[in-house]
Amino acid sequence: MTDTVQAGRRKFFDLARPSRQHFLGYILIAPAVLMVAAIIVWPLILAIDLSFQQVKIPRLGGASRPFSLSNYTWLFSSQEFWLACWVTLKLVVVVTAGSVAVGLSTALLVNNKFRGRTVARLGMALPWAVPEIIAVVIFAWMFDTSFGLFGWLAIQLGFADQMIPWVSSSTAAFWAVAITMVWKGFPFVSIMCLAGLQSIPSDYYAAAKVDGASVFQRFRWITMPLLMPVLGVTLVLTLLWVFRDFSIIKVLTGGGPLRSTQTLSIMTYDQAFQYHNFGRAAAVGVLTLVICIIASLLMLGRRSKSIY
Amino acid sequence: MNKRVKRLALGAATAALMTIGGLSPAMADTVLKFISWQTDDAGTGEWWRSAIAEFEKQHPGVKIEFTKAERSSYADTMTTLFAANQPPQIVHLASFEFQMFADSGWLEPLDPWLKKDGIDMTGWAGQKTCQWNGETVCIMTNYFGFVMAYNKKLLDEAGVSVPKTYDEFIAAAKATTKDLNGDGIADQFGTGHETKGGPGQYLTEMLNYIIDAGAYWTDKEGNITIDTPEMVEGLKRWKMVMKSGISPVDMSASDVRKLFADGKMAMRLDGPWLYGTTEKGTAKSDIVYVAPPLTPPLGGSSNVLAMPSDIPDDQKQLVWDFIKLTMTPEFQRTYATMGGNTPPSPKADVSGVEKTIPHFPVLLQTMKEASEKGIDRVPTGLELYYNEFSKMVVEESQRMIIQDLDPAEVAKTMQAKAESIKG
Repeated sequence: MTDTVQAGRRKFFDLARPSRQHFLGYILIAPAVLMVAAIIVWPLILAIDLSFQQVKIPRLGGASRPFSLSNYTWLFSSQEFWLACWVTLKLVVVVTAGSVAVGLSTALLVNNKFRGRTVARLGMALPWAVPEIIAVVIFAWMFDTSFGLFGWLAIQLGFADQMIPWVSSSTAAFWAVAITMVWKGFPFVSIMCLAGLQSIPSDYYAAAKVDGASVFQRFRWITMPLLMPVLGVTLVLTLLWVFRDFSIIKVLTGGGPLRSTQTLSIMTYDQAFQYHNFGRAAAVGVLTLVICIIASLLMLGRRSKSIY
Repeated sequence: MNKRVKRLALGAATAALMTIGGLSPAMADTVLKFISWQTDDAGTGEWWRSAIAEFEKQHPGVKIEFTKAERSSYADTMTTLFAANQPPQIVHLASFEFQMFADSGWLEPLDPWLKKDGIDMTGWAGQKTCQWNGETVCIMTNYFGFVMAYNKKLLDEAGVSVPKTYDEFIAAAKATTKDLNGDGIADQFGTGHETKGGPGQYLTEMLNYIIDAGAYWTDKEGNITIDTPEMVEGLKRWKMVMKSGISPVDMSASDVRKLFADGKMAMRLDGPWLYGTTEKGTAKSDIVYVAPPLTPPLGGSSNVLAMPSDIPDDQKQLVWDFIKLTMTPEFQRTYATMGGNTPPSPKADVSGVEKTIPHFPVLLQTMKEASEKGIDRVPTGLELYYNEFSKMVVEESQRMIIQDLDPAEVAKTMQAKAESIKG
């Protein structure tokens, strides 16, 4: 009897059996799932819970406040929130487009054979390797209104007759942030596109040449369609990066002047740490997450259709 | 069997002894955490270290872990630590940020501790600021008055004398602002203001002109008093200074101080801490400190010491002992001699400090003047909303400068918004 029970147990835990093999997968992935739950899901649940409470500064383990929709009511009626949405949208469009344009161009360039290609590829990837905060501090010096390199260059080249107030003019501040973000973001697009370009068989181009296709036609009808799977994913990742990026804006402009560079992530920070409205900050964070999920689903959906 | 038992007993005893021996020093030590942004400040950082050393000498087995957190993210760090139930035992905060912690009930009322030791706080500069809901929640560590430092060489070269009024100050600043290399970009400035730091710093810079014009954000009862002719005049002055090019724009405090210390700026209105930077600058020998031409001098509370309300009682006693130590006349004197600061204690003996810090009498004079006039950076009635209020003022001031708005209209907008923030 005991032998039969033990044999049954052995059979149940026999992970080599085809019908039990999926258990092994679950067991192996369990630590990672638990880790993700602890560092992502749990804080997310806390943030969602916090967004439905009227709380200034929360305390870990402290008593919960009553359920309230006031944070969301305030948010949707707040001009500040809609302005932050608009600034985020503008930045997402400009930086994503800029990064893809520069990144794809440089990838096409370094995909060709020429002397110094290795150095050019290294140079292309360099901005990605520089820690973001260091890069931003360097850009902050270059954009300095009184002594900055860009202002000096603009005067020397005759584009301006006085130093450009990069950080104290709404338009200039937006472009200062956008330029810095494109500089920091394009290498990722380049590297991804270069990998995609190298996977395109050269026979396709040879055949197109034989058929008399021009450079533009080869790019339009061979490169772009075959690069789309890579480009689609890259686009979504870049978009999400712009959405959540905080340090570039915080160091360069702090969201100003006149909130012209205040994105949703800066607004979340300000509500939490400047005004000590953690409930409102959580509400902004939750809505940002929802917007990001919707944007990703829409983009991945479109890309999927175009690829397959 | 007997031998085996003996061996086991001997082994267990040795292991127990080793464990106790190894752990005992660590367990005997009590560690008090003390986070500050002043750890590396020239003079002041050394003063804190000397107080820590003396405290540790007086309390064997107790260590103070003195850690730096950057000023720019200091409030964020402290908020996170308090929210996570992990506050440092010795709480060091700026005088404009302790209110939120006090309002949440996280700071220990200090009146019973003061009473127990019979400490009289009469005449302690800025201590009134530490009252929250009728209780003393902190001890004012620093109360200061602004001074004016000027570069004698630059003023002499421009042929201007040391300014004594606002008009003379602006005239001198204009005369000393120069494009030295003829590239169309000014590289020597008459004065300089920090406008790139936090909103609180921006307000401090503006206040120099606003209080000289006779205005302030609120009255003593906490009513908003922005929409007044005096405030309009103050805003007009700030707009002029920012638009006329006599000050570099979008600069951090350290950049402005460095420019001044290196002889690229003629005059700078600042607190006692400027001295540490000018002593290291290339224009050190040309720099002179005098009372500011804008009166009354800007001044106010700077930073406070407090203790969390929910730490164990034995730790509270230790923290109080440390706070008390810093309040003794001896340490109040070294606060001046080592740190170059004006001690808030009326009992501090500051005689002879001018031998090492020549401008110390000026620092004392401006501190007293500011204190007598009740000047402070944190407006009465807006303590809890200071960050929101200061951000609003910064935005409206920037709008006035960028869009060239009438200061009278801006004052009206600020008044309405400040009333809305206060609720």
